[in-house]
Amino acid sequence: MKPIDPRLIRRIGPARRYILVTAGLGFLTALLILAQALLVARLLAPVLSPTDLTDDGLHWWGRLVPEGARTLATGLSLLALVVLTRTALAWLQERLAHRAGVRVISELRERVVAHVASRGPRWDTGGRTAQVATLVTRGLDDLLPYFVRYLPQLALALTVTPVMIVVILGLDWLSAVIVVATLPLVPIFMILVGLVTQERSARHLAAMQRLGARTLDLIEGLPTLKALGREHGPAARVRELGDAQRRATMGSLRVAFLSGMVLELLTTLAVAIVAVTMGFRLVAGGIGIETALAVLVLAPEAYLPLRNVGMHFHASADGLAAADAAFTLLDEPDAAPARASLGDAPHPRGRAIDVAGLSVATPGGARLAPADLSFSAAPGALTALRGPNGEGKSTALLALTGLLTPDAGAVAVGGVPVLTAQEAVDEASWLAHLAWVPQRPDLGPAGRTLSLGQRQREALARAFDSGRPVVLLDEPTAHLDRASRGDVIARMRALADAGATVIVATHEDEVLAAADAVVEVTAARTGTPS
Amino acid sequence: MSAASRSDLDVLREAIRETGVSRWAVVRAVLAGTMALGSAVGLAAVAAWLIAKAAQMPSPADIALAATIVRFFGISRGLFRYLERLASHDAALRGVVTLRERAYSRLAGSDAHRILGLRRGDIVARMGADLDAIGDVLVRAVIPVAVAVTVSAISVGIVAAILPLAGAVLAVCLVLAGAVPAVLTARSARIAAVVGTRARAEVSAAALSAMDGATEHRVWGTRGEAAEALARADVESERSHELAARPAAWAAGSQALFSGIALVALVAMGVMAVHAGDLDGPLAAVVALLPLAAFEAVGAVPPAVQQYFRSAAAARRLAELTDDADAAGQASATSEASTPDAASLALDGLSVAWPGMTPTPPVTATVAPGEVLAVVGRSGVGKTTMLATIAGALPPAAGSVRIGGTDASPALTGSVVAMTAEDAHVFGTTVLENLRVARGDVDEAEAWDALTLVGLDGWVRSLPDGIGTELGAGGRTVSGGERRRLLLARTSLVPAPVVLIDEPAEHLDDAGADALRAMVTRMRGEGRTVVLVTHDLSLLDLADSVVTLDD
Repeated sequence: MKPIDPRLIRRIGPARRYILVTAGLGFLTALLILAQALLVARLLAPVLSPTDLTDDGLHWWGRLVPEGARTLATGLSLLALVVLTRTALAWLQERLAHRAGVRVISELRERVVAHVASRGPRWDTGGRTAQVATLVTRGLDDLLPYFVRYLPQLALALTVTPVMIVVILGLDWLSAVIVVATLPLVPIFMILVGLVTQERSARHLAAMQRLGARTLDLIEGLPTLKALGREHGPAARVRELGDAQRRATMGSLRVAFLSGMVLELLTTLAVAIVAVTMGFRLVAGGIGIETALAVLVLAPEAYLPLRNVGMHFHASADGLAAADAAFTLLDEPDAAPARASLGDAPHPRGRAIDVAGLSVATPGGARLAPADLSFSAAPGALTALRGPNGEGKSTALLALTGLLTPDAGAVAVGGVPVLTAQEAVDEASWLAHLAWVPQRPDLGPAGRTLSLGQRQREALARAFDSGRPVVLLDEPTAHLDRASRGDVIARMRALADAGATVIVATHEDEVLAAADAVVEVTAARTGTPS
Repeated sequence: MSAASRSDLDVLREAIRETGVSRWAVVRAVLAGTMALGSAVGLAAVAAWLIAKAAQMPSPADIALAATIVRFFGISRGLFRYLERLASHDAALRGVVTLRERAYSRLAGSDAHRILGLRRGDIVARMGADLDAIGDVLVRAVIPVAVAVTVSAISVGIVAAILPLAGAVLAVCLVLAGAVPAVLTARSARIAAVVGTRARAEVSAAALSAMDGATEHRVWGTRGEAAEALARADVESERSHELAARPAAWAAGSQALFSGIALVALVAMGVMAVHAGDLDGPLAAVVALLPLAAFEAVGAVPPAVQQYFRSAAAARRLAELTDDADAAGQASATSEASTPDAASLALDGLSVAWPGMTPTPPVTATVAPGEVLAVVGRSGVGKTTMLATIAGALPPAAGSVRIGGTDASPALTGSVVAMTAEDAHVFGTTVLENLRVARGDVDEAEAWDALTLVGLDGWVRSLPDGIGTELGAGGRTVSGGERRRLLLARTSLVPAPVVLIDEPAEHLDDAGADALRAMVTRMRGEGRTVVLVTHDLSLLDLADSVVTLDD
């Protein structure tokens, strides 16, 4: 996983402002820490120096903090001012930081959802909707630390560290040399540790994931075990797998934490060496106390952004993986080939809908359901499609909407072809004539709070009241009580009598009895499963 | 006591007790953490003394010891931090393993109707991510907060030994810099938990509706509205972040303020003490510069509070999952007493329903050993619910189920009545182990016999390791038809006298139908009582009697 995903950076858009604001506030905070260090040096130097201070120990930087700050009143006032400003900046930074991420995440989520919604009805063959739902909600939310913490910290590492080095260089070149010499060691050692442990760490990681998957697999099968009376045995196995997983995890952590240790060791040791070196030079009179104090306080600040970057990158890993999954999804080409356009759809009122030789392969390709379906639905008539589950009644209705491309066959209105395997009329012009009620209608987010029966009734009411000339209903009487069922059948009848073309998939005798024509839908094996 | 009536802290404390993590393991991690952050404090203190002492131009030998100590702290911080991370993760991981085993045992011992009614995704989320989140409370909350307390005490101790009043000021500032952000962060986390969770649920519903209902939205031209609903939910979710950010901002500000106040106060007190002649320079430098390092430890408090809320929510979900498991555990432990060789099944006016659902029309049937009852009906009518009731996992809505003369009960589930659900699990282990799920002592010959019965012997022979080939998660993927037949082979090895089989709504292919036929015929020969839910009317000739749930 790359620390910066270019696809993600490209999509930052308006959030860039907030990332810059967060980083900018961080930079200002660093400047205040700088001022704070110089002030502390100014305040302490007079009481620590055995002789009166004659030179300005802060050299060029003394222009930023006047020598007057050596007096308690001035120095403490300035220090208090710095503290209050830092407090305000810390407040502001935390107040605004989240804005850098939430908008980008919302936009990415909306794009993925729109993309999935535009795939045909057959897209969700592998139960992927649930997986995508998790991705667009919890998964993408994990990206927040990446935008809110990691990217601003990265900007700080690139700006604050050089500023601190320049300041230390102006104060004491030897200390600056120590810092500059150790800084590159941090990435070098981390890369070396990474290289040496790569193979080991990959092996542990793989074992860890495998054992984790196995444990969860065992737990997932608990209902199956319970149904067979075998639920008590695996507790010991859960323990065994868990212990093995723990050992593998610890093995990988022992390696993974090594690079963290290198980082801490190098940065703290460098600060210690700067302090000790200055100590011996103070004894020899090679450096002034004011300078030494300023460098002592500033040296850790040169390393701080680097340490924070490492920490926050770790916290962003889950979100980056989710973003990667989202982009993979967005880049996926549309499975259904585009059909040649037949222009605008003819108005179906008063015209028969003729279906000829309609076949649709099941997702696995093993069967055709429906297979070679032919019928004519007359206007002003109620046509019923009958057949056992899985024979392709719902699929036939979907093919009639034009949203599912059949593998063979044609649909014509008044003799004019509207849908075939290769050609189709303009989608919007055709759908404007259709009312369609699927099994388990959705009705939008508000509909999700209703029971299945209520949703069914609302969706049917929408179709009945739409005034659209072609009405396609999939098992309209399922999930309804006997009274509502009679009502639905009466409404269907009335709609047909008023001239609409009503096509209903059903296996209810009452509906079949009310129909003007009954068409048998049957499936067939293709013989060449793919 | 149920999880709902207990406080977050009680629920989480109970879960932590269940992890069985020893006090010593936690203490060890806290000690290492104290050494790590204490090294930072020590480095700041000794380095300040060293620089200030050196300024008095003593002989180099006078500062040699301090120089060595500074170097030591320079190294020890990284080392002890490494040890602390290993110790805390090891303790947490051990705890999670123990907790998972105990939670599994409790769950396995709970009522059959509870387990069979659980969604698989829920079990995996509760026993996976939620347990890990409970373990995280040690690593990210308990240990860092304990370290913050010990390191703060050390800092206060050093300063107080030099200048007691300064020590008191530092103590007050440290307590405030820990406690005030903790309270504010808790408020932020609560807003996130209430407003944020509601907003996230709305985003989730809008996203699902836009994706699940995509075809409907296209037909009715409501795609724009679906997208707008999601955009509105997103705006609402952004607002919840905005609300949670307010107290969080005050938390960050207050921490900066209290550490700053300590710095200003201690610099002033140090300088004034030297002027007054109460203190020599090097010790004053220690007092003045120590606050720069002392506040790092309390910085861990706000993230710890957030982790506490996450872990408490996870512990509550786990408690709800395993809540009533204890009492039920005893009941099913005694159920393995004796399994009769044969048992007849009598359904008398049986009507079934999950709580809150419409009961099925009543059915009456008697199935003697060696007979087969078929249950038919349209999808969603309650056929699977009827099997769960016969299995004893669910009490009848009306009427009765009698098995070998006694009422069906959870105690009979699995031992006397075994059920193969349509979504039964194929485990990520070998073919043989998957068959041993039916009975632990199945030998290879019996396994091959069962595979031959369902026509899978050829397929298994074609696998790289034959009967020892790993399947499912991490192993070889199994097609729908192979999976069905493997489950049938497993069912044929079940020792229970009453066997319930739930066939999936999708039609069986020819091989699957043949396998089912062969298996039912074998069970009939063995004098088993079989109940078969089927959609394939051509299989009804297998049955001695048929009941329909369509009214």
